[in-house]
Amino acid sequence: MPIEKSDLLQGTLDMLILKIVELGPVHGYGISQRIRQISKEVLHVQQGSLYPALHRLEKRGWLAAEWGESENGRQAKFYKLSAKGRKQLASEELNWHRLAGAVGHILQTAG
Amino acid sequence: MFWWKSLFRKGALDEQFDSELRFHVERLTNEYIAAGMAPDQARRQAALEFGGREQIKEELRDVHRVNIIETAIANFKSAFRFIRKSPSFSIAVILTLALGIGANSAVFSAIDAILLRPLPFPDGDQLMQLGQYNPKVESPQTRVAPIRLEDWNRMNSTFQSITGSYTEDGSETSGILPEKLKQAFVAPRFLEVLRVSPSLGRDFTADEGHFGGPQAILISDRFWRRRFGADSSAIGKKLRIVGMSFSIVGIMPPSFLFPDRDTDLWIPVPADAPFAQNREYTWYSVIGRLKPGVTVQQAQANLTTVQAQLGKVFPKPDANLAVAIQPLKEITVGGVRRSLWILFGSVSLLLLIACTNIVALLLARAAQRQHEISVRFSLGAPRAAIVTQLLTEAFVLAFIGAALGLFIAAGASSVFRSLAGNLPRVEEIRLDGRIVLYSLACSVVATLLCGLFPAIRGTRRNISVSLAQANRTQVSGHHPMQWMLVAVQVALAVTLLTGAGLLLRSFRALGQVSPGFEASHVLTFHISASYGETVDWKRLTQRIDRTIEELRNLPGVEAAAASATLPGVPAKYQTNLQFTEGEQDPEHAIVAESRFVSPGYFATMKIPVLAGELCREPEFIDTPPDSTGMHPTKFSSLYVLVNRSFADSYPASASVIGHHLRVLDNSFLRATDVGEVRGIVGDAREEGMNRPPAPTVYWCSGAPGGPDPFYLVRTHAKPMTTAETLRQKIHEIEPARSVFDISPLEEHIDEAFAENRLRTVLLAFFAITAVSLACVGLYGTLSYSVNVRRREVGLRLALGALRGQIIKKFLLQGLGVTFLGCLLGAGLAVAFAPLLSEMLYGVSPSDVTTLLAVVLTVLLVAVVASLVPAIRAASVEPMQVLREE
Repeated sequence: MPIEKSDLLQGTLDMLILKIVELGPVHGYGISQRIRQISKEVLHVQQGSLYPALHRLEKRGWLAAEWGESENGRQAKFYKLSAKGRKQLASEELNWHRLAGAVGHILQTAG
Repeated sequence: MFWWKSLFRKGALDEQFDSELRFHVERLTNEYIAAGMAPDQARRQAALEFGGREQIKEELRDVHRVNIIETAIANFKSAFRFIRKSPSFSIAVILTLALGIGANSAVFSAIDAILLRPLPFPDGDQLMQLGQYNPKVESPQTRVAPIRLEDWNRMNSTFQSITGSYTEDGSETSGILPEKLKQAFVAPRFLEVLRVSPSLGRDFTADEGHFGGPQAILISDRFWRRRFGADSSAIGKKLRIVGMSFSIVGIMPPSFLFPDRDTDLWIPVPADAPFAQNREYTWYSVIGRLKPGVTVQQAQANLTTVQAQLGKVFPKPDANLAVAIQPLKEITVGGVRRSLWILFGSVSLLLLIACTNIVALLLARAAQRQHEISVRFSLGAPRAAIVTQLLTEAFVLAFIGAALGLFIAAGASSVFRSLAGNLPRVEEIRLDGRIVLYSLACSVVATLLCGLFPAIRGTRRNISVSLAQANRTQVSGHHPMQWMLVAVQVALAVTLLTGAGLLLRSFRALGQVSPGFEASHVLTFHISASYGETVDWKRLTQRIDRTIEELRNLPGVEAAAASATLPGVPAKYQTNLQFTEGEQDPEHAIVAESRFVSPGYFATMKIPVLAGELCREPEFIDTPPDSTGMHPTKFSSLYVLVNRSFADSYPASASVIGHHLRVLDNSFLRATDVGEVRGIVGDAREEGMNRPPAPTVYWCSGAPGGPDPFYLVRTHAKPMTTAETLRQKIHEIEPARSVFDISPLEEHIDEAFAENRLRTVLLAFFAITAVSLACVGLYGTLSYSVNVRRREVGLRLALGALRGQIIKKFLLQGLGVTFLGCLLGAGLAVAFAPLLSEMLYGVSPSDVTTLLAVVLTVLLVAVVASLVPAIRAASVEPMQVLREE
């Protein structure tokens, strides 16, 4: 069952985008494909959420963007991680692991 | 992406959104085709999955838009909220800035009008003043003969044209009473060079510029309104001047105040008139308009060549003359440049002190707002956004301050105008768009100066986090930055106060000088006359002698005289002299000041005759008129008196009395004129109260300096009370002449130092304001420190500290900082004092007494400013403070 936008925790999409982009410059279509593939079709990101998120991250300086040629020879906007974005990703990952660990712990022991 | 790009290149952004999204849809389509769908269906499916493209684009636009205008609006809103929330703080900041910016804009308006703007003529920077001088001997520049002016105009290749003028006070007699008018006699091409046209009527025609042509005249707007009620039928009316009738051909615009501010009439002098052909004449003050692109140096080289050519054709006198060229603006305003920049410098220091004061206030404020700032940080606001918000607050304060400052500037500017009445171009000072722009620029600079530092410092993340966590149990706040700011304020204030102190001391020294003559109870005035009278010097001399005789016989008058210059009013007239007796040393001339006076001068001014006897007027020999109607001037002998300095510097040990002096180069006297020394008089400060008496030769003459000397009358009562009697007497004996410029001599001497007084008064005012501001800064910072440390003080008191110790502690803190500031300020003052050296009299720029007095004053004021917060600290109730926990 795919999880829709509303089910994603707020701020999680940003972290996922940063994580995907960390692998190398990629365009919006590529990001949505990879999230789907890597999550084994569990997470489907709506374009209506993806693009505003990308632009917001670019504006905050966590992503850098430039136009380049895509695999099929068309012009596409490629996003890559900035140094600031790398730091942000690290701290968000850390927070996520702590949160997930804590939630998991409660689920295991409180039952 | 810069915000303005997104604002102005909205279309380009939209295109980018489009192609980014289109790319995505195309890839989706391709995916479905690859999966085996028909292209049409694939396209539909892709569009469906992608969702509303326009909606996404709108969202993207939002992402880019929100931060531009909305943030700005939000920032301004919060800035106004902030101002409303803390009215007393805001009012203090706004008033401080309003004063600082207002004073600054007012002085800038004067600098702008007087120094920066070109003269009020089209392409005014092309206008030059030309003069002639004798490079072989040290002599002043003199005016130029009309015929030589025409030669220069014809032979040069660097000027569009050259003209000249001289002014004379004359009497206009077509009305019921003669009226004194200032007439400018102008050479051909006068308005052409200045590029000004009459506002009504026309310029002179070629005919009117020729000898024997129609007699035409241009009148000033002022005279036109006064005499003709601004009626356009004035054109064509006649005026009677020195017995001749002139038709009014035009009215000049009200802004045209050249060559003198109070010129009423412009009268053309034909270049071809027989009476204008003498090369020895010194009539015109010459101005020329450079051709576009020509530099002053090129013009100078060109005219030097022209004059060399003239020297070959007319060896006497042209071979001895050189040409000097200077921009007309420089001649007009050069003298006040330094004074104005010094005023501007001090008023800028004042603004700097005001800003420093506000920085300290904002720093204290930022510390109080740590909580608010750290909350915003934790909500994820980037630092730049918070800095922008704090800067917006500072800007709103500065902007309101600048707006108020403009009103202050308008007031200050009119005070300045009334204080500086005789400064050149002072009538051009006004508040216009440039001044508004300048004030705005001031407010932006003030924002950055005042706001940037506290904003950056207040938003340092680690500090804000730690302070947000710190609670009320925190003891003692050290704020080295704020104390440093106080020290800087004190230093700047000390610098200004030292400058003002030096000027005040030299002003007082000037007032205590003993000038060697008695300026009180002397009335001065002019009686209108014409240079035409110089065709017969004997008659002219008799006329003035008779007038002086009548004046002396008036009741209440003790003595009367005529003089070319006023004693004590700065004027230099250096001449090179030689004794006819003894060995002739042509290389070594005697340099002395020359003064031209009537014999009664010494009794009137109470200058004692120390040796010999009073001089007499020259004895004229009657001569028949020559072809031009001139009576060649011939006299049997000339008499002079010398002052003690001259007599003392006379190399021969024998007395100078009985020796003869010959003038080597001079325009009033000729090389053939030899004066016999009849006596020695006391030294007097003739050429200014601030100059020690120079060796001086007094040439006794019945018509000193020409037909229009200053008349000096020593009265028993207050001088002005005699004015009406004098006027009636002159009207009785000379009904065709008018008396004008009646004023006491002391007023003239005062006026001569008006610029001096202006800068002294203003600098003193700025300095007092600066010291007050520095004290407010000290008081504020110390009060803040006392507030922050209330708990600490309470604890100390609870532990047995004496209240006296607490007072001493805070007092010493305030004084320590002030002392540091004083040291710094003294250093600055010593460094900047040489700027003032030319304006000082009787006090050295690095005068220790002044410096010590300033430091003591500032320390004393600092004690008062520190005492209040210190006492408040000591009155803390320990139990109450500790209970506040």
